[in-house]
Amino acid sequence: MFYWIYDIPNWQLAAMISGGFVLIYWFGAILISPILRRLVRSTSGSNDVVGYILSSFGVFYGLLLGLIAIAAHQNYTNVEDAVAREAIALSALNQDSKAYPEPLGQNLRWVLRDYCRYVIKYAWPLQQKGIVPEGGRVRVTAFHEKLLSFEPQTIREEIIHAETLRQFNNFFECRRMRLQAVTTSIPPVMWYVVIVGAFINLVIVWMFDMRLMTQFTLGGLLSLFLGTMMFLIAAMDNPLRGEVSVSPAAFELVYKVMMDDAY
Amino acid sequence: MPTRNKTLKKIQSGRPTRRDWLKQSAKAVALASLPGCERLIPVGQTAVKVGLLHSQTGAMAISETSLRDAGLIAIEEINAAGGVLGYPIEAVVEDGRSRFVDEFPRKARKLLSEDNVVAVFGCWTSASRKAVLPLFEKLKGLLFYPVQYEGNESSKNIIYTGATPNQQILPALDWFTSKAGGAHKRFYLVGSDTDYLYSRTANFIVKKYLESLGASVVGEEHATLGQQDFKDTVEAIKKSDADIIFSTITGDSNVGFYGALAAQGITADKIPVVATSVGEDELRSLLPSQVQGHYSAWTYFQSLNNPQNKRFVELWKREFGNDRVTDDPIEAAYTQVYLWKLAAEKAGSFDVDKVRKALGSITDFDAPSGKVKIDPKTQHMFKRFRLGRIREDRQFEIVHESADWIAPDPYPQMSFPGWKCDWTHNGITEGEPVQI
Repeated sequence: MFYWIYDIPNWQLAAMISGGFVLIYWFGAILISPILRRLVRSTSGSNDVVGYILSSFGVFYGLLLGLIAIAAHQNYTNVEDAVAREAIALSALNQDSKAYPEPLGQNLRWVLRDYCRYVIKYAWPLQQKGIVPEGGRVRVTAFHEKLLSFEPQTIREEIIHAETLRQFNNFFECRRMRLQAVTTSIPPVMWYVVIVGAFINLVIVWMFDMRLMTQFTLGGLLSLFLGTMMFLIAAMDNPLRGEVSVSPAAFELVYKVMMDDAY
Repeated sequence: MPTRNKTLKKIQSGRPTRRDWLKQSAKAVALASLPGCERLIPVGQTAVKVGLLHSQTGAMAISETSLRDAGLIAIEEINAAGGVLGYPIEAVVEDGRSRFVDEFPRKARKLLSEDNVVAVFGCWTSASRKAVLPLFEKLKGLLFYPVQYEGNESSKNIIYTGATPNQQILPALDWFTSKAGGAHKRFYLVGSDTDYLYSRTANFIVKKYLESLGASVVGEEHATLGQQDFKDTVEAIKKSDADIIFSTITGDSNVGFYGALAAQGITADKIPVVATSVGEDELRSLLPSQVQGHYSAWTYFQSLNNPQNKRFVELWKREFGNDRVTDDPIEAAYTQVYLWKLAAEKAGSFDVDKVRKALGSITDFDAPSGKVKIDPKTQHMFKRFRLGRIREDRQFEIVHESADWIAPDPYPQMSFPGWKCDWTHNGITEGEPVQI
């Protein structure tokens, strides 16, 4: 939806969302608040009623925000876990390939190294733009092709080959999970509810009968916090995009080991 | 201060900033308004697209994957230095899947029609090159072909950066029939039907040339795609009493061929093999004990001792690992990207015709193999012949080198009488019909 927000540095995004909320609140406090207050002033002790409504609403909205924040964090953790598992499986495959006769073993390691380099140099920047990288597929196919060309001659080779194939399937599964995560995000309908809820929060606070400066200060603080929560969820949503995203550090570590092995 | 640091970090990471995007968009609009460029850089596109078309899977992947890598590191280097005409290069990489007559043309068409690439760097086998050639001519694309080939071809839309027979095969035959090369007289030709065209045409030229040198061909065999069993071939070689084997076998069939030679006791001191498709990259799949002492004819070897090559080999190993090697097609695949860049800059455009014409005026590019230039008449490259003997460490000892670079001739006259080409004037002049 609003993917352009991931091209903005975090501090700018935070300032934009939180500042935006505060400005909207202040704007409403001047223009909308007097109208709303007129609507609720007919009842004596209107602030008590508004306060009661706000606290009831706050409970539900707080729960919703909390759950969504946890969901976003869970998404992020899942993707981080999938990336780590893929890197570990890659490393295990690299290790297994050392048991194959040369030059097949070396050819297998070269394809894996090439795959790792591709993921770090090419796939990651594409993922950060929300594009599912396709160049890894051909490298995985090349590896699988080479692996299947091997015909074990001894029981030892049979066991190693079976284990490598099992590891390859594990690696393939993790890779699929990473690729799926490129488009993983909180559903738009949830964002809709969150934004509508935030707006209702502001509307209720506008209904308080307060001096303008008090409105500005208290309402401003509440808006700032709401904005900060929005920023937090937005930043953690889409785990492979923006500054708060899963990094290729796990692959970099494996690549370093692979390159060191080449010496 | 944080803003500055963040921008600096973005620049260092190579990610475009908004300022970069605006600058590139402005450039795209300006360049797109120039005549001849309107189809090349769509407005708003912030990079110039080039295609890399090689087999990354299948029988030829063993050789062709490295050519893709060579193209990629040249592009990475150029991008790091600011791109071409202010644009970063975006590589669109396609896999020909070692299916020369169906997959290669399909991918070439995609690159030219859908991706709108301004140039394609690709192919290895002549079969794949021949299959994509009509598409490049029809869709007015530009293909850079980096592998030595059999000649007997010239296209306005192809730039041939590999060696022609008179830069590789004929000097090798000259040397092996000379006293210095052992004065060999009885040649056995082995080829590969992986690439029917290359082996058949190369052997046709070899036979004609050996005739003129007073040597003879005592036998000829061609392997099928991916063939590993060469027992019968080697037995036939032994029976023929050949004193040298001339091999145009490509791909991983070389593993089986050299294995069979060693198994039947044929070593380099008994019957040497001179190969035209075995470089350092192929040697890594071959056992040194089976290939040591045999020869390869090329225009580049990793062991070349010059500063450009040292830098290139260092870059290659740094990017892909210390156990990776460079070879002749890899060097050509790397060099040709730079030649295209220089030509585009000289032409001030990515337009195919302008780039093609500008290529002929580049005379001083320091490639890892030495100074190179494109002959505007044939659109092939001037190259220096080199003959290498395989060492135990899977590298080559350069045993012979031509005194100067050799002008390319895709139509050696003793094989293709009357045929010539001159793309600065009339194009191809047809000579006598030739039956190969």
